[in-house]
This record gives sequence, structure tokens and C-alpha cells, in this order.
Amino acid sequence: MKKLFILISALFLTTNVNAETLRILAEAGDEATLTKAAAQFEEANPGVTVEASYLGWDDFMATIKLKLADSNPPDLAHGNQGFTVDGTLIQNDLIIPLDKYADQYGWKNLFADGSLAEFSWSEDGSNWGSGTLYGISPVAEDVIVYYNKDKLSSLGLSVPTNFSEFESALATAESAGELPIILGGADGWPIIHVWGLIEGAFVDPSQTRNWIFDAKGNDYATSSRIQAAEKLEEMAKAGYFGSDSLGIGYDDANAMFIDGDGLFNLTGTWMTAQLNEGMGDNVGAFAMPRSTSGVAGGGSFALPWHISSKSSNPDLAAKFIAHLMSNDFVDDLMQVGRVPAQSPTIDPTSNLQAEVISASNALVSSNAKTFYTDWATPGMYDTVTQELQKLLGGAASAQDFIDAMAAESMN
Amino acid sequence: MINHRPHKIEYYSNYLYILPAFLFYIIFVLYPLSDTIITSFTEWSGIGEKKWVGLENYKKNLADKKITSSIKHSFILIIFYSFFPIIIGLGIAGIMVRVKVRGIAIYRAILFLPQILSMIVVGIAWRWIYAPKGPLNSGLDFFGLDDISRAWLGSFDYALPFVGLIGTWVMFGFTMILFIAGVQKIPSELYDAAKVDGAGAFAEFFNVTLPGLKGEIIVALVFTVTLALRNFDLIYITTGGGPGTSTMIPSMFIYKKAFQMNQVGSASSLGVMLTLLIFTLISLIIITLREKNET
Repeated sequence: MKKLFILISALFLTTNVNAETLRILAEAGDEATLTKAAAQFEEANPGVTVEASYLGWDDFMATIKLKLADSNPPDLAHGNQGFTVDGTLIQNDLIIPLDKYADQYGWKNLFADGSLAEFSWSEDGSNWGSGTLYGISPVAEDVIVYYNKDKLSSLGLSVPTNFSEFESALATAESAGELPIILGGADGWPIIHVWGLIEGAFVDPSQTRNWIFDAKGNDYATSSRIQAAEKLEEMAKAGYFGSDSLGIGYDDANAMFIDGDGLFNLTGTWMTAQLNEGMGDNVGAFAMPRSTSGVAGGGSFALPWHISSKSSNPDLAAKFIAHLMSNDFVDDLMQVGRVPAQSPTIDPTSNLQAEVISASNALVSSNAKTFYTDWATPGMYDTVTQELQKLLGGAASAQDFIDAMAAESMN
Repeated sequence: MINHRPHKIEYYSNYLYILPAFLFYIIFVLYPLSDTIITSFTEWSGIGEKKWVGLENYKKNLADKKITSSIKHSFILIIFYSFFPIIIGLGIAGIMVRVKVRGIAIYRAILFLPQILSMIVVGIAWRWIYAPKGPLNSGLDFFGLDDISRAWLGSFDYALPFVGLIGTWVMFGFTMILFIAGVQKIPSELYDAAKVDGAGAFAEFFNVTLPGLKGEIIVALVFTVTLALRNFDLIYITTGGGPGTSTMIPSMFIYKKAFQMNQVGSASSLGVMLTLLIFTLISLIIITLREKNET
């Protein structure tokens, strides 16, 4: 009798597991990562099917709130740091807190204290930067400096160790007739990354992070930030971005860099695989040195994973996130060309990946990442891209830029 | 006594014929339109509760200098999307009246081609043509005009007129076909009479062709002015409103507010304002030109 009971209940449990499908909606950049993770997860959890679908960046960002507000949303989905997406999702109770799972799987111990602030919110979604954990990601994205190795050595230069060395490298390249910095400014957002590095060189990173979490409550027009804006204006006037940067798109700029245009390319670590493929050993990378000491730069974790509040099995969704966050998966992330937020155990797959990881580690260990300016307010993306274009195109001064940004901070 | 019944059935059944189309019209036009108008009086992030704010969105839009200056850009675009194509179309129609060209249908088809291309395709192609190292600059460099060549769409002075020229290129095929068709319905006796009176090419054009095309010109104006004001795809693909805000137009703000900034209420109010602006402008065009036509 007892045996029969066990048999029946075992049968019952297996069929229960069999019925399990985990539905995921992700931004298309994560397809390679998820394909790998899904196969491993299905193998480790017999009976579970992972159903992932993908949308390109613009489509994803335009529809993710509606998808999660739907009556039958995906169990697991990307969000985006900031008030526009994550804040709205929390305000409408569309995603659940992850603190319970973070404790269960030990996510908080993986990183330095305060590192997960970008995923932390008050429970009503009105305050950002501390409180309850609502998302997590295993991937780091840093804005760093890529450089053309042949050009740097033929100009008689070495990798700059402070900001004034970086500046003199720009001047040397300019006078030798080389384009100092390739920039796809027509798209607007790539200039945010350039600004993040210049801002990071002068402004204390924690000051910038506090402003992004609470733009209204923190002064934007500080003396160090004005200094950074004046430096960017000076660089633009000196022709360090060339005369055509506002007419070149981001993809074209990267293609031109691969073809040998530009000494430096100031962009994010998501470009590592593509640049490595195009340039091989001729491309290197370093974290932007600050004007005083140390390094700084824009960047953050990659897009956060959220669990839908309507998910029928949030524990399974959390288990999948735990798989992505696990130490075993770090090396898989490396293999698909992403920069893991945790230190990898295998050797880098290329010289560039080694330099990128050491730049990333330098930023993480000094807590010097400053996120992205456009996270600060819902209207900030427009304001900062437009004002940076004006600054680079000579249609506005550093002071105009600071004024416009300070005004948008109040919105 | 005449029995009205069969008549009545016929009368009602007429409504049945338009019912399917009318249902579509209600679902896809009238419902979204009224929903937009209601939303325009609210503050709404796109999900969750709508909060009634009355005319607040409208007041804010009118006070926003970025929005009012974007309307100025739209009026500049009318010159490129509407006036230039009409002048070019009239010119070609005037020439075709007098000159008989062999294989005219082929030329017409080629000149009409831009009109049938998707705006996305057009935008991407012209973005390449205007690129810093694109064909336009290569051509200028070839003729030794290196000083003129630049990143056209990245220039604060040139981006707007150069996007406008794409509009001219797209629209003139439409006006041309419209005017050529219109010319053919002008009685040939009028042209004969003009010739007898000794009219030259210009006199013939201004006294016979132009007055005869008044109806077509109204149609061309209505169509092209509407397109200039509601245009979105071409700007979105070529400049995204930049550099800075130099090519921003109201429809870009509608998109940005609704899909980037969580301000669906404000986006709706701007949509309503743009619709009213187009409606007013089109009514003005029709009323002024039609009255002159009747006198």
C-alpha cells in the first residue's frame, strides 16, 4: 500500500515537472548567451522546456512594458535600468522582488557592497539606488578606450596612464594627420559614452551615480563637471573627433575603426568580439585614466532580468537566473564574447579579451563605473544626446550644455 | 396606394453593404481617434491608471520652445515637400505639352519611381548618398570642390534643407503624373486658339495650362502639405531629429513622448494638435483656391 502511494505520488510529481515551460523574452543581444544557457538548463532539469523569444533593442524597449502588463506575460524578461522601464514596472507591480532568491542563491555575496544599487528600488518604485532588489545580471558592460596598436606605436606613444597623457596622445595624433577619436555621433547615444569617460576623468564617480539615482536632489552644475564639459568642448574645437563625426552612424564608425580610421574608439565592451574579429592583434583596450589617479568610465551591469508578478512558477524562473549567475556559467559567457561580472576561471580567448577584462576589473575594483547619463530622467536621453551634438558641432558652449542638463534634471 | 415596403427594404439593405467597411472604420479609425482625444486630457505612462489633468498637456506643449520650433521646421519642409515638387511637376507638364519626346512613357515611369519606394528604403539610400564619404561628397571632390563637401546630415545649417530635398525627390513624380494627366483633359482648341493669337511657350503655359490645372494643383497641395506636416519615417531614418534639434518635427516628439518618455497623455495631446493644424491648413488651401476657381 505504501509502495503504491509512493509510486502514484512520484508519477504525479513527474507529470507535474513535465508540464513545466519557462517563457523568456529577451533583448536580441543575449540570444547566443540564452541559447547556451537554455540547453544546459533543460538538460539539468528534465521535463523543463525553455521557450525564449527575442526583439531588437528599439522594438524591445518600445514594447516591454506592454508585454509585461499583458494577461499572459513571459515568466522571465529583460528590463532596463532607470525610471522609464524598471521604475514603471515596479510602480505597476508587474515584477517581483528578488531578495528572497538573492539570499537563497547567494547573489549578493558575488559582488562588492553597493554594486547592486542599480537594481534596487523602494517598493513603490519611486526611489532608486537602494532598497529592495528587483533585478540582476551576470554580465558587465563597461565603456572603455579601444586603440589601434600599430598607430599608437608608430606615433611613438604608449598606453596613457593618466588623463593628460591621453590628451597629449590626441594632440600627437592630430598633428600627425591621424584622426584621434572615431565617433559615430549621428546616432546621438554614442556621444553619451564619450561624455561618460570625460566626465569620469574629472568628476568623482559616486557624485555622478548619486545624481543619476536622484537627479532632482543632487546638484548637476558642480565645478568638476563644468570642468569636464569645458574639456569636451576644447577637444571638439581641437578637431579630435574630426569634422564629420555628427554625420557618421555608430555602426559605420566601428567599421571605419576596423578599417584603420582613428587612433582611439571610445565605446562599450559589447563591441569586443566584433573588434577582435576585424582587427585581431592590432586592437587593444584600457580603462580611461582619471585626471588625478585611478580609472573611471561609464558602464553598468547588462540589462537586468526580472520575474513577472504573473509568472505561474517564479521559483523555476529564479532557478534559471541562478543558472546564469552561477560560477559554472562564467566561462560560457566568455565563450560567447560577453564580459562576465564575476572573474572567469579560464584563460581569455584573445589578447583583446584579456585587456578588456583587466580594464573591466580595474573599474569594478575601484567602484568607478558611472552608469549612463540618460538613466537620470525619462527625458534625459533626448536632452543629453541633443545637447552633446550641439556641443560637438559648435552650436552650444560648455555652459549651455551644463544649463540645459541642470534644467532637465529638475523634470 | 403605393406600397412603400419594398423600397424601404432596399433602403436599409444599402446600409448593410457599407457595414463591413464601416465596422473597420469604427475599430481602426474612430475608436483610436476618440481614445487619443480622451487620453490627451490625462497623464498616462502607457500602463496603469490614467490621471485626468484637463488642458495641462496642451498648455505645456504650447509653452515648450522645442515643440514650437519643431513646427517651424515643418513649415520649412512644406517648401521642399510641396512647393518645389509642384513647380517641378508643372514645369515638366508644360514642356511635355509642347515637345513630343520619343519613349515618353519610359521617362515618366523612371521619374515616378521614387514615389513607389518605401520611405525607409529612400531614407537609408539618401543617408548613404549624403554620408561624409558618400557619392555626393566624392562627386564634389572629383570636381575639385573639396571645400564644399561635408557631413551634410550632421551639419546644423544643412541637415534640414538636405532632408527636405529628399522629400522633393520623392514627391515630384506624383505631382508630375497628376499634372500630365490634367493637361490631357484641357481641350486642344484652347491651345490652338492660343497659337492663333500668337502666344509663345510662356504665354501658353500661364494662360492655358496653369488655369486648366487648378483642380490638380489643389489635390497636389493637399496631399503634399499633409505629408510634410505628418512626415515621420524620413526624419527618423535620416537624422533622428538631429544634429541637436535642428531637424526635429512634431511627429518625432509624439514618438519620443509615447515610446521613450512614458508620456502617452502628452504625446496624444500633441497628436491632436498636429491633426488640428493639418486640418486647418488643408481647409484654408481648399477654401481659398476653390473660391477663386468659381469666379
